[in-house]
Amino acid sequence: MRALYCAGRGAADMHEASIALSLIDVASEVLREHGAARASALTVRVGQWSSVVPEALTAAFPACAAGTGLEGARLSVVTVPGVGECPVHGRVTLDVTRGLRCPECGAPTPTLLAGDELELDELELVEPDLEDV
Amino acid sequence: MTVANPRIVTVRQNILKANDHTAAENRATFTAAGVRAINLASSPGAGKTALLERTLRDLAGQMSMAVAVGDLATENDAARLRQHGAQAEQIVTGTICHLDAAMVQAVLPRFDLAGLEVLFLENVGNLVCPSSYDLGEAARAVLISTTEGEDKPLKYPTMFNTADVVVITKMDLADAVGFDRDLCRENIDRARPGVPVIELSSRSGAGLDAWFAFVRGEPT
Repeated sequence: MRALYCAGRGAADMHEASIALSLIDVASEVLREHGAARASALTVRVGQWSSVVPEALTAAFPACAAGTGLEGARLSVVTVPGVGECPVHGRVTLDVTRGLRCPECGAPTPTLLAGDELELDELELVEPDLEDV
Repeated sequence: MTVANPRIVTVRQNILKANDHTAAENRATFTAAGVRAINLASSPGAGKTALLERTLRDLAGQMSMAVAVGDLATENDAARLRQHGAQAEQIVTGTICHLDAAMVQAVLPRFDLAGLEVLFLENVGNLVCPSSYDLGEAARAVLISTTEGEDKPLKYPTMFNTADVVVITKMDLADAVGFDRDLCRENIDRARPGVPVIELSSRSGAGLDAWFAFVRGEPT
């Protein structure tokens, strides 16, 4: 297991540091698959119900990326709102502070149709041959 | 250095896929051995270890149980649990604020899984991080104590949203601390509509039968 040295910002960021390390693992795998040495930017989709705080992830990322192909890459986080299915109002965008309830009528919407994502969406590769130009 | 036309690739991959993969392996191991793995999560001090102590003591001789317990630094919890005759293995997580599937997988060889019916996975006391990490458990129990405030389910919706059962602990203290039972249950139901709720006291023993039924895998 890798030590979380990049978690030096304090306990509040430890979770996002773990997530950042997993993100870098996934992204590094994509780099290998495409024969790219490094990436210049990446986009991550974080659901509002994923318990990951985008600001903390953004703060933890640069230190975690040091020494990897993601070093210096620009991280963009897209927040995905929760979407539930109300028996009356159909697909509704949820308000986290109100729980899994339809914001229109308060009916329970137990199933999340969206909003629990934690995924690497896009990666901007730097082609090795271009680097030498 | 000039970088021309960087290539953008669409990935759309779950960041925690490695953990999910290991969790699936753990789940297969548990299923093959006939072990019911129960992931216990709560804030620090909600009474996970106390509930497990009581469970190990009361069900001793009826069920074969063991515990893998995660903690940042100490072995105290495992030592407490061993006093009740069950095997308890500590997972010291260091700086990491949750158990993940790989940590659980690493400790499994220390158990005789074939001889076990229930393996408790006592998570690190934390209502945020453990919610993201599947350990391969059959069921996830989230504890909330009467002393910590009825709004926890709204503050930590993801943890409660992934619970298979919510256990309200320290019911013996409910009156003393002015615990609002209805409000707490309403908030739990907001975070996880329809989730079964068990109210109990590990000290007095009230409500333990419902918990034991859950431990056995009976309908809650």
